[in-house]
Amino acid sequence: MKEQFQHKVTTSFFMWFDNFLLTKGEAFSNKTGEFSYYEDARLDSTYKAYGSPFKTWVTDSSITGATIPTGVFINGNFSGRDDGVVLDFENGRALVSGSDEDLTVTGEFSVKDFNVYITNDTEDDLIVENKYKVNSRLPSASYGAISPYDDVVPAVFISTANSTNEPFAFGGIQNTSVQVKAVILAEDTYQLDGVLSIFMDSVNECITSIPMTGYPITELGDLKDGSYSYTGSEAGYTDNRKFYVDSVTTSKLTDRDRKSLAHEMYVGFIDFDIKQMRLRFT
Amino acid sequence: MARLSLQVREALKRQVPKVAKKDLNREVRKAFKRTKNQMMKEFLQLPITQELLAGPESANISGTLRGVTNLFAFIGFDAGEKPVDIIIQALENTNIQFRKELKKGEKLGAEYSINLPTPEQIFAITPMPWALGRSWARGIESGISGLGFLLRKNNRGRSGRAIQSRVKVRGGAFKPTPYITAFLQKYKKKFECLEYKK
Repeated sequence: MKEQFQHKVTTSFFMWFDNFLLTKGEAFSNKTGEFSYYEDARLDSTYKAYGSPFKTWVTDSSITGATIPTGVFINGNFSGRDDGVVLDFENGRALVSGSDEDLTVTGEFSVKDFNVYITNDTEDDLIVENKYKVNSRLPSASYGAISPYDDVVPAVFISTANSTNEPFAFGGIQNTSVQVKAVILAEDTYQLDGVLSIFMDSVNECITSIPMTGYPITELGDLKDGSYSYTGSEAGYTDNRKFYVDSVTTSKLTDRDRKSLAHEMYVGFIDFDIKQMRLRFT
Repeated sequence: MARLSLQVREALKRQVPKVAKKDLNREVRKAFKRTKNQMMKEFLQLPITQELLAGPESANISGTLRGVTNLFAFIGFDAGEKPVDIIIQALENTNIQFRKELKKGEKLGAEYSINLPTPEQIFAITPMPWALGRSWARGIESGISGLGFLLRKNNRGRSGRAIQSRVKVRGGAFKPTPYITAFLQKYKKKFECLEYKK
């Protein structure tokens, strides 16, 4: 099936949300450290996985002050993509080609304060049922590699809830409204209030419509063209009709209810109403 | 027949509009009251209102949960809570106010304003019991997750009903249904069309 409006909304919103949080909140920290080898049965035998203790890494080079890695140091020598290294930003690791499992791999990267995920899970699943690994930034005696593929908190889970079309103008122009819900799982109230505050102020923001082909990550978690900047991607689609944030409502899970959860996370909600005036099937 | 003196005729001319105005005002207020009573009655008869008024023991008469549990427990209200009362109060506060006289030739009229609450005002006074910034009344229209139900279940079923359910209730089980927005739109139109002609 070819790309539809809903696909574009989801991709564009996700990329905008990530950039907005990193830009407005400077919600990342720069890290340097050693990566540890671990076995990954899902991985092609061409690669060995060396994981950092944190994920997800920042991919967006338009974020001032963020370190976007282009490679890692293997036994003290820099190795980049041309040397067969794949940087898996999503799982916070370097995939090194070859069969060596005892290399000394180190690197520099920026880790997001909040991982951002697109999800189909319901709020009850996200908040009550699911178990998460915590990407704690607190110093600890020893860091191991963080396990791949699982969702890691603090995180924001984004889902598109429902959409409606309302006649807007002669000629068949519709006012399309998409309800986007975000569930935030934070480690403390400072983090939670920060995210809620940033997005409360996102009302009236315009979001560039970016097609799925503009999504920068490959199936291995690396950057498609070796680098990515949100502002650069936006610039490639300036002629596309923009979405706008018509309204935003933020709220927190009450403390009384938070205490009944099995985990210690602080939970918040952001309800966006995203609109675009458009012709159907465009 | 004796003609009335000019003075008397002038005095009558001045008094007639006053009498007519009084009459008009009374009739308009009567029409307003009739529509308001109809609005209150209809709101209380809405299946969602009835289900919430019936509390944690109600059946899912609104059909929003396909018969599994009921809205009161699903949203996660505490037993004894009366979530609809605040909406009833807001609707009860709907009032009519005289604004200005309208005159067109011999015709006499008046403009009134009616302070029917807006959907946004209702959403602002109907917080979810577990996330105060969210509105359960808006949720009825746009969708509610099963979070309130699960939380109450974990929390020994403060709604008094959630704990008893052995069925796993999911957010996806909820069917969004028109409620406040459609209802207020309907009565906004009815109030706008309040007409009194004599």
